[in-house]
Amino acid sequence: MASTREIKERINSIKNTLKITNAMYMISSTKLNNARKSLADTEPYYYALQAMFARVLRHLPEGYTHPYLEVREKSEDFNPRKAVICVTADKGLAGAYNHNVLKMVEKEIRPDFNDMLYVVGEVGRQYFYHHNVNVDGEFLYTAQNPSLARARAISEEILTLYREKEIDEVYLIYTEMKNSMECETKMIQLLPLIRLDEKLFHSNAGITAVQRDSIALLPNPGDLLDNIIPEYVNGYVYSALIESYCAEHNSRMQAMDSANKNGEKLLAELSIRYNRERQAQITQEITEIAAGAKARAQQLEIQRKRMRKQMAENGLSAVTE
Amino acid sequence: MAEGTAEFSLQVIASNRVFYSDKAQQLIVECGNGKVGLLAHHEAVILATVPGELSIQKRDGKWIHVVAGNGSLVFANNRCTVLVDTCETQEELDRRRAQEALERAQERMRQKQSIREYNLTQAAMARALSRLKFKDKYN
Repeated sequence: MASTREIKERINSIKNTLKITNAMYMISSTKLNNARKSLADTEPYYYALQAMFARVLRHLPEGYTHPYLEVREKSEDFNPRKAVICVTADKGLAGAYNHNVLKMVEKEIRPDFNDMLYVVGEVGRQYFYHHNVNVDGEFLYTAQNPSLARARAISEEILTLYREKEIDEVYLIYTEMKNSMECETKMIQLLPLIRLDEKLFHSNAGITAVQRDSIALLPNPGDLLDNIIPEYVNGYVYSALIESYCAEHNSRMQAMDSANKNGEKLLAELSIRYNRERQAQITQEITEIAAGAKARAQQLEIQRKRMRKQMAENGLSAVTE
Repeated sequence: MAEGTAEFSLQVIASNRVFYSDKAQQLIVECGNGKVGLLAHHEAVILATVPGELSIQKRDGKWIHVVAGNGSLVFANNRCTVLVDTCETQEELDRRRAQEALERAQERMRQKQSIREYNLTQAAMARALSRLKFKDKYN
């Protein structure tokens, strides 16, 4: 009896877990779709912005310098202070998604230099707090529902640090979805800008001042760049946030999907075991009843025989009397 | 369409949508040192815009007024592209939200802040003020 009850309990608990994993699967798929849509909405803006930036760069006056455009590695022994922004999830249960990001960050961060780490998402933050890494404790951003406003706040913070020469290089580690099945952890160098988009800068190299068609930059190139560059950097940050968010939910969907499958397999096995156990019990009971009935029948038969014998003997004696 | 009016193709792209993509007769944007109006065949120019009103005169001569945030504009070969971070029409604009944002910014202004925070607050205030000004204008 105990055995069937145990199996029944186990089946129920698996069923409850399956309810949770199923719900998580559905939630992730909705969130994934929403995030994809908002990314698609912003795409035309950022493509146009990129073109605009290229155009402004093309028409900058000769020898123009801007804080964001200068190159800082002047000498060979220049030791840049790196800043790494990494995007993790706010919770686990997403397969290898978080681990891949953490592994890449650990490879990139050199604890002997004063590299700074800026973490988006609770999982990464907790991990690096306990691993002796220079984490900026004030940099508190969640990975949930990435919005333009949050991306702006992040890029503004990083650009300010860069402008004030607190940091010389900025890297961004995030996860990209290669296709609906595969995710890939990626790293890009955000600043200095020349590293982010070398093509953009090199396309200017061959053009001399004479070849450029003249375009007026109003009110002045500095104001223009001040308007464009933060948004330009922001575009990268935002798309990294969204890509990571999509990848997170994709990983979670896959993890939950396999959890569902495993759960169902387990349920099938357990229900077979349960049925067998129950059948065995019934069979045993029937055998017991049958055996009991048979024994009883035998007993009765013996009694009857005995009675008949007695009666026969009594009858006989009565006759003889 | 009014006869003889020259047109140029105009694209107004906000960060979350393409707001306008058609021919237009005239465009007025807010720049740091005042308003700038652009007509067809304007000289090639790249402009930085600040939070404020953006007006488009459509092909049929009617005007569209929206409030836009920071952005930039390029006019070349009779084609104009305006990129702004936000862009809202009169109906979409929520007066109370703008008012609240302004009050929040004013509140923050009174507190001690770092230069970065100050800049952020000032930008928020400029956005809120331009929204409110715009909302009141056509009521």
